[in-house]
Amino acid sequence: MFRLVKNALLATAVTTVLATPGMVSAGEKYGFGTTATAEEIQGWDIDIRPDGKGLPAGEGSVADGEELYEQLCATCHGLFGEGEGRWPVLAGGEDTLTEERPVKTVGSYWPYASTLYDYIRRAMPFTAPRSLTDDQTYQLSAYVLYLNEIVDEEFVANKDTLAAVEMPNQEGFFVDPRPDVKNNRCMKNCADPAKLQIVGTLQGVTPVGHFVEGADAPAASHQAQEEKERSLHGETVEENAADTLALTEDAIAGRETYDNACQACHSSGIAGSPKFGDKSAWKGRIDQGMPLLVEHAIKGFSGETGMMPPKGGRTDLSDEQVKKAVAYMVESSQ
Amino acid sequence: MSNPIKSLSTRELMEQLARESEGLSISDRRDFLKKGMLAAGAMTATTFAGTAAASKNLPPMEPSWGRQLGAGVVDKPYGQPSAYEKEVVRRTVPWLTAESIASISMTPIQDLKGIITPNGLVFERYHAGVAQIKPEEHRLMIHGLVERPIIFTMEDLMRFPSVSEIKFIECPANGGMEWKGAQMEALQFTHGMLSCCEWTGVPLRVLLEEAGVKPEGKWILAEGADGSHMSRSIPLEKALDDTLVVYAQNGEMLRPEQGYPLRLLNPGWEGNTSIKWLRRLEVGDKPWYHREETSKYTDLMADGRARKFTFVQETNSVITNPCPENPIVKSGLIEIEGMAWSGRGKIKQVDISFDGGVSWVPANLKGLVLDKALTRFSLVTKWDGQPWLLQSRAIDETGYVQPTLGQLREARGTNSIYHKNSIHSWKVEANGGVKNVQIS
Repeated sequence: MFRLVKNALLATAVTTVLATPGMVSAGEKYGFGTTATAEEIQGWDIDIRPDGKGLPAGEGSVADGEELYEQLCATCHGLFGEGEGRWPVLAGGEDTLTEERPVKTVGSYWPYASTLYDYIRRAMPFTAPRSLTDDQTYQLSAYVLYLNEIVDEEFVANKDTLAAVEMPNQEGFFVDPRPDVKNNRCMKNCADPAKLQIVGTLQGVTPVGHFVEGADAPAASHQAQEEKERSLHGETVEENAADTLALTEDAIAGRETYDNACQACHSSGIAGSPKFGDKSAWKGRIDQGMPLLVEHAIKGFSGETGMMPPKGGRTDLSDEQVKKAVAYMVESSQ
Repeated sequence: MSNPIKSLSTRELMEQLARESEGLSISDRRDFLKKGMLAAGAMTATTFAGTAAASKNLPPMEPSWGRQLGAGVVDKPYGQPSAYEKEVVRRTVPWLTAESIASISMTPIQDLKGIITPNGLVFERYHAGVAQIKPEEHRLMIHGLVERPIIFTMEDLMRFPSVSEIKFIECPANGGMEWKGAQMEALQFTHGMLSCCEWTGVPLRVLLEEAGVKPEGKWILAEGADGSHMSRSIPLEKALDDTLVVYAQNGEMLRPEQGYPLRLLNPGWEGNTSIKWLRRLEVGDKPWYHREETSKYTDLMADGRARKFTFVQETNSVITNPCPENPIVKSGLIEIEGMAWSGRGKIKQVDISFDGGVSWVPANLKGLVLDKALTRFSLVTKWDGQPWLLQSRAIDETGYVQPTLGQLREARGTNSIYHKNSIHSWKVEANGGVKNVQIS
């Protein structure tokens, strides 16, 4: 009896203690996190708005943009913005938006020039985002507008001139009006069976090898597709045996750099780059000797099949890191 | 249980449809049906007999796995699916994109059960590959039109009371390859940009209250920490309603592919707005019109003008059994099964048609029926080799009825890429094979 009473008292006491800190009054804040400083915000606040809010100081001309564009952008987007392979087309396409196959480019579709600066600043060049200076971003914005014949060759982009550019398709957008169709829950005689049209599937464009025996369908991965395309051209790609090779210490050290930087292009052979593990693509290069290969990787190089920007655009990498990454690629591709 | 194909007139209709689609005469068609049935039956028998003859693991024999020991605990500290499930994987359609780093893969929804997508099978969409983020160095910054700009560590965020909610996430381009015609020969590619998980995190409302949104604040810019720094403008109304800042899915921390260690989740809205690797939220008075809400994720209409801020994933559904990957292998009873979902709320009803949309019968919803979550539907019926033109039609709690492809095309043309939520059609052939077709 005494014991029971004691336990009951203890339970009451515990409940009271627990309940008190559990109460949070309305409107009370948690107070978690730290107040962001102006400097911290400035470093990350990269966005631009159509009214020019966010555009930094600095400027860039069409002429300077042309040089930079050819160095950094043309391998994917084409010299005139026409787009290589399946990479985005940047220029042209005027008056195609109502056609069967519209060409949506900066000039034919984008409503605001500010978006160009914002996007280049946050995501381009593809292999080295956030590597451009504010001036370089102005230069490239100016040049892409020039490619679209929206500005003339004298144009210099800055926070005032860029925000003032009027894009051809600025009025081409309107707010989502959905729901825009109204179907009814009909249960019987909902359509005239005599008028039904049945259209089959366009065959041969879907990877179906996983469930259709003997299907000669497109490859199911980008790598497999590329190998298939190569084999159609009579080339063979050796199996990537990197994991089973005995790599040198330099090469092992270079693997991380490769994974974080080089593989963006070299894993799939973007922009004519020799693909990791592709012995035939690497042989001629390796034959020239490591010092020259490393020099090209560090300083940049334009070859027959493509263009290697200095350090692949990753100028934040040290020469030593690039050298080791080259060693990793070479040893894995011979 | 019901068998909707019973009236003679319906069967006649089906034969007429089959004839039109295959150019066969009625007598040819009947022969074809018979042959198809024989072939299917023979194939099935051979397959099973073949397995039985070769195996010593079937009754009356004792299976080998019952006569030996298996691996012990923590043999695999993180468990993996059975080796026999190696075909249940994400797949891509490589010609869609230039390479794999800015690309998309699809969930094998043809193989999944229930409404939860396993973490390793959630569809992928990257614009600069998978960011590898050290959680102790990840930060979420909230600033702009707020009383107090704040930087949160992951530890800070996980101190807030958490919520867990089951929501689907879908790319608005799901099905987008088929505006002009059917071209995907598999369910994984027609509807696989779709997953559903239990997400755990903090309501964005709580974090915004913490920062104190100024009265002029109307929009939020959400931005990722990956190489694309993906950004979308989101109306404050949504942010204060049901948007979550998420750090876990299906009980474990987010997968890198899904934005580890932190992502946004806008339930029912196009997946692109649910920014992964979330690092920054800025409050502003106007939208930003960034690339992913102008050049992309706008819906081009036939007249050359485009819809913007088309956020909602409208009511949709698809039959997962049968489907091209899951043909009917035996005649007799069959459960027609599928999934329905709506970005506006709960699924109220799903109907099924066996004749290309001429007549419909109600299916049953089964399991959990949740707001903005995948919902399973089911109808048990009988198949005896007759051709079917199978369709499902979902209705959500707002009364919206999933439209036909013809209705969508009439309203929007065929160049809008996104938000194709029309009724989908499978043609079940006499041998039980299933083909993707479009009916108009």
